[in-house]
Amino acid sequence: MKGRHTFAAGCVLVGLVLAVAVVSLVWLPYDPSDTTGGRLAPPGGEHLLGTDKLGRDLLTRLMVGARIALTVGAGSVLVGGVLGVAAGLLAGFATRWLDDALSAALDILIAFPTLLLAMLVVAVREASLGSAIVAIGLAMSGVVARLTRVLVKRVLAQDYITASRTSGTSWPRLVTEHVLPNIWPTLLVNLALQLGLAVLAEASLSYLGLGPPPPNASWGRLLQEAQATVLTAPLGAVAPGVLLVVLVVGVNLVADGLRDLADPTRRSSR
Amino acid sequence: MNSKLAGVVAALALVLAACGSGQEGPAGVGTATPDAAAVIEIGSQYEPQNLDNTAGGGQGVTEAFNGNVYEGLFRLTDAGKVENLLAKGYEVSDDGLTYTFELREGVTFHSGKALTPADVKHSIERVTADDSQSARKSSLEAIESVETPDDGTVVVELAHRSVSLVYNLTYVWIVNADAKDLATAEDGTGPYELGAWKRGSTLSLDRFPGYWGTPPANNGVVFHYFTDATALNNALLTNAVDIVTSQQSPDALAQFTGNPDYRVSEGHSTTKLLLAFNDRKAPFDEPLVRKAVSSAIDDAKLLESIWAGHGSLIGSMVPPTDPWYEDLTKVNPYDVELAKRQLAEAGYAKGFRFTLDTPNYDPHPTAATFIKSELAKVGITVDINVITADEWYSKVYKNHDFAATLQEHVNDRDVVWYGDPDFYWGYDDKQVSEWIKDAERARTPEEQTELLKKANRRIAENAAGDWLYLYPQIVVAASNLSGYPVNGLNSQFYAYGIKKS
Repeated sequence: MKGRHTFAAGCVLVGLVLAVAVVSLVWLPYDPSDTTGGRLAPPGGEHLLGTDKLGRDLLTRLMVGARIALTVGAGSVLVGGVLGVAAGLLAGFATRWLDDALSAALDILIAFPTLLLAMLVVAVREASLGSAIVAIGLAMSGVVARLTRVLVKRVLAQDYITASRTSGTSWPRLVTEHVLPNIWPTLLVNLALQLGLAVLAEASLSYLGLGPPPPNASWGRLLQEAQATVLTAPLGAVAPGVLLVVLVVGVNLVADGLRDLADPTRRSSR
Repeated sequence: MNSKLAGVVAALALVLAACGSGQEGPAGVGTATPDAAAVIEIGSQYEPQNLDNTAGGGQGVTEAFNGNVYEGLFRLTDAGKVENLLAKGYEVSDDGLTYTFELREGVTFHSGKALTPADVKHSIERVTADDSQSARKSSLEAIESVETPDDGTVVVELAHRSVSLVYNLTYVWIVNADAKDLATAEDGTGPYELGAWKRGSTLSLDRFPGYWGTPPANNGVVFHYFTDATALNNALLTNAVDIVTSQQSPDALAQFTGNPDYRVSEGHSTTKLLLAFNDRKAPFDEPLVRKAVSSAIDDAKLLESIWAGHGSLIGSMVPPTDPWYEDLTKVNPYDVELAKRQLAEAGYAKGFRFTLDTPNYDPHPTAATFIKSELAKVGITVDINVITADEWYSKVYKNHDFAATLQEHVNDRDVVWYGDPDFYWGYDDKQVSEWIKDAERARTPEEQTELLKKANRRIAENAAGDWLYLYPQIVVAASNLSGYPVNGLNSQFYAYGIKKS
């Protein structure tokens, strides 16, 4: 079954990065701030992937970077998911002017470029891991909310909901018993896709210097720092790039796989 | 959806690699005859903020206009000598308070007006005016009045002796007193006049046909501005520019050294990277703490990391091109044990924590990271706060709201700022202020040199700042180019001698 294979492949890729991040919590080849490695030492020997300009071990920094990428990815999905689903439910249940107002607000939020929004958040707060999570989560919440709203409206239009309403079911119970169970598979797929986008957004922010400040070894920052030395030490730029591809492609495969597994029409149309 | 995403990721990863490719050399040079009709394409990372050096035009306008569009009464040559330029000569009264400058005849501004003493008076007063933002304003504070007794003479009266007056006048552009809006236009006497300034892209200078002196060796120059060093180097590799005024990435040099199509020159720079402490506030009001921090940082290793063997260590604010240079690298040597002892003696045996305000452009974040890891070894925790150049200007420079900061200081002879207790780093040492004041009032350059050497030694002994290193000045040019300046003194770049063959 195609869905199952896609899902498995995605899990392997994401699992790889996750494993690296978990290992980094208990063991690292070097201290991330150890500068004794010599300038741009080539791969091999003491430093498996070589060192950067300051003599820091590249493998160590990549491992710490995996942690940052996953933290920001998961953190922003949490922020975006909670805000987005809440706003989406509100808009879905609301009628007339409140629904119109919320929809308009969401459209504006979605139209706002993520990076620009992030720059605003960074300007108000400061460049940090938290700011990056808030900024990316906020941008994501618009997309999630709009999807949730549509899904909620579709469920609410069903006859059994009307029946349930006439029999006096309160709306919190409607949400927990009828709405959420019906919309979560679609939401989950969407949130998985958003996780990939969040990882990319964090890399872009760090590349622009708006992510967690140095010496944090975010992959985007590694790419930026390696830019000047790409000809003399190409691995410094290639390695974080490859890891980004692995994680984002992995997350997308998981999302695709989830969609195929959760959607009966796709399951039958093999 | 996922294929599109994967494409974006791949692009992000590979765009960098692509930046370095396209490594074609320039077309072969057939003849070696200079081509006077050639226009020189200059690549630079320093675009002017505006075109007026008394209104915050910045390093970029000095680079493009000093000596090219505007001239002073005197010229500071690339070798660091002072020569007559718009002044034919000068006389000093016995008390050293009256300078009489004789102006060169036959000089006209680009607008066609002839140069008069009134223009010189106006130009000097622009720099000393209350609203002037010139970095050189304080060096001219001795000037009491500027008189124009006749058509060919300017008389400057001083409140006290000023031994560097003539030197300082090399920075004063002589502008047409009738000119309007010098922030977007120009009216100077130099060999070039402004062609067009396309903001964010290029600034072109055309040969001025009415120039009084030797005409330029080329038909004009175009400055191409880049914010990214990699893009600038690619422009040089693809012949989009002929020369890069100041190479900022040692790793990019590998593309040019050993390639017969390019020539790499290393000259003298006056740009210093400083770890500047706020000397007013604890813990950095205590010299012993500052000395400990200076000794805890391995400057040689930092220089090697950032510049890979280029540049030099100076141990103080004075670069070797200033007459009062001394090698002071031994005053606060790299010695972790010494640093620990000094910290303990100052009452910080367990270290402390401070925020390092770090400008967001290279090399500051890299240097900050290095400093953080070095100071961790003596128990000092550094929080790196990355800020923009504008934030630096308001937070650090104007409001003095910082503990320590990183900054590059480009000017020559700028050790005198340690004599001003109101400067951003707030170094308040009566003895140093007095020496610096007396040095400017000295009767002879030798006396001035002696006093400034004393001041320089003392600020090093007190670790008024930590002078991490002196930048190298690396110029990379196509090998068919000659006659370009190789020393970036005060970031000027005389273009009139450049020949292309």
